[in-house]
Amino acid sequence: MEYSENIKVAWQGLTDHKFRSFLTMLGIIFGVASVIAMLSIGEGAKREAIAKYQDLGVNNIIVREKDMSDEELEEVRTKFSPGLSLRDAEVIREIVPGVTRIAAQAEINAEVKYANRSVKSSVIGVTPEFYDILNYKIKEGEFVNDIHYGARQKVCVLGAGIAYTLFQKEEPIGKMIKIEDQWLEVVGVLESKALFTETVGELAARDLNTDVYVPLSMFLDRFSRGNVLESEIQQLTIQVENSERLMETSALVNEIVRRHHFNNEDYGIVIPLELLKQEEKERQIYNFLLGAIAAISLIVGGIGIMNIMLATVMERTREIGIRRAIGARKSDIMGQFVTEAVVISIAGGLIGVVLGVSLSLLVSVFTDVSTYIRLYSVIIAFAFSVVVGVVFGYLPAKNAANLKPVDSIRYE
Amino acid sequence: MNDNLLIEITHITKRYEMGDNVVMALQDVSLGIREGEYLSIMGPSGSGKSTFMNILGCLDTPSTGEYKFRGVDVSKLDDDDLSAMRNKEIGFVFQNFNLLPKLNAVQNVELPLAYAGVPAAERHERAVRALERVKLAERMHHKPSELSGGQRQRVAIARALVTNPGILLADEPTGALDSKTGVEIMRLFDELHQEGNTIILITHEQEIANYAIRNVYIKDGSIHYDRLNTNRTIVK
Repeated sequence: MEYSENIKVAWQGLTDHKFRSFLTMLGIIFGVASVIAMLSIGEGAKREAIAKYQDLGVNNIIVREKDMSDEELEEVRTKFSPGLSLRDAEVIREIVPGVTRIAAQAEINAEVKYANRSVKSSVIGVTPEFYDILNYKIKEGEFVNDIHYGARQKVCVLGAGIAYTLFQKEEPIGKMIKIEDQWLEVVGVLESKALFTETVGELAARDLNTDVYVPLSMFLDRFSRGNVLESEIQQLTIQVENSERLMETSALVNEIVRRHHFNNEDYGIVIPLELLKQEEKERQIYNFLLGAIAAISLIVGGIGIMNIMLATVMERTREIGIRRAIGARKSDIMGQFVTEAVVISIAGGLIGVVLGVSLSLLVSVFTDVSTYIRLYSVIIAFAFSVVVGVVFGYLPAKNAANLKPVDSIRYE
Repeated sequence: MNDNLLIEITHITKRYEMGDNVVMALQDVSLGIREGEYLSIMGPSGSGKSTFMNILGCLDTPSTGEYKFRGVDVSKLDDDDLSAMRNKEIGFVFQNFNLLPKLNAVQNVELPLAYAGVPAAERHERAVRALERVKLAERMHHKPSELSGGQRQRVAIARALVTNPGILLADEPTGALDSKTGVEIMRLFDELHQEGNTIILITHEQEIANYAIRNVYIKDGSIHYDRLNTNRTIVK
């Protein structure tokens, strides 16, 4: 018996009982669909995390001042901590090996005004290195450069969001905006950047698009702080050559900063790559759970197939007897019924793939959960459905093959 | 025994065990059948005639004794070889036709050839020829449900003939037909016999047995008589 005959017979059987076949497939359909949908949600979360940490820089060590109340600030000052300063940056650059760049930043929250519009924003004083270390992209104009920095020029670069709020359709480059009592010239606008939606260590979640960047040198000259005790800068971003030495380097950085701050823990260190690895580990548990759920639903689907196939074999005892009488071997009968089970599971698997893909697309369109379908997840889900067909079709097919021709041919 | 026998059955028994009861369905049955014979096996129900037919048709094997088909001891064959035997040497014709309802006439006739591994084109050609032989070629695309009882039995006969089997084994072939149609089927068997086919009729009706040339009568699991039919019904 050629195998194509089996497929024809199986397809015929399936289309003869469309509704029953559909019900039989349901378990497989949902199993496959849920595998694909869940894997795509997991993958989406993974990509989002990677993007987030890439924004922070996977080669970076971030030293950030702790958020402190005035009392706490006073306390660390009385314990001789000078707070985070450009001096820290210099010392780190001198002592720590393998550091490629260091960016310092100081921040205040201030009202930013243009014409009759005004908006609350973070004004961040930065060194020119900032741009290269933190994956920023300029949309027009230029970022704070060495000339701006060296000459303490009164210039600023706007985030995409704030540029739109202040200027709408106007061209911002060359315009003057007012921050506190200072007039600054807009020299650049940044590309829109993903929202930073989660607080990571000392880094609070916020919308990076509403920031205004100015040269740190000018910032320190011209902008007054609310509290005179406040540190010179709020953050140092240290880029290292080799991400494999992040841990050692950060230990060394910690040691230096702690000493300079006279053992005051008024700062925190964030290593984006380590956090990424940690999240990856957590996701593995989640993935394992997903796998278990998927396996269970596919097994349930398989049992559904087995159930119907057992009934089908009973129902078609006579047919089996006839086929045996005219020369079908056990293996022919076996092949016929396994093929039927596999055809059902493949059909169910295909429908499941379509459903799963649409589900994950719907999820990403209608919720803020991002999904990403990887080809391998579709292939795995589909392959499993075929395996389920073979495994759960085997027993009913074996029963069919083992029917005695003498008895089955007279079965009414 | 004679060497040119097609079927050579010697001292076969068939016993069934049902709990503590042992039923001897066949006891010490011996029979030889030559190629081209037209023979009936008759007996009342419960006589063991069905058991005998199952063994003749390689659907079942005897408990003891020997069944040789063209010199091959069938009782020692395994399941696959028995299947091959049924496929090549036995052409079954059943009382209730036993066609597959989802397949049309020609597909039903092709089926034994499919199991024999004959390529599709040749299969179709041979099936059409077999249907022509039973004068049903024009109905070959009809499903069994679209055919009359007599036509269905013709399809079944075509299916039995299509592999050129050693024997045609017909189990009450007219049992489900009206008498006029029954006579037509018996005429077809007569023609097939004249063309050289070996035919074994299994029946409980004397009337049907009378069409055969040789009559075997089974009673209580053994052969009661085995004689030439002197009173043969000739189909006009």
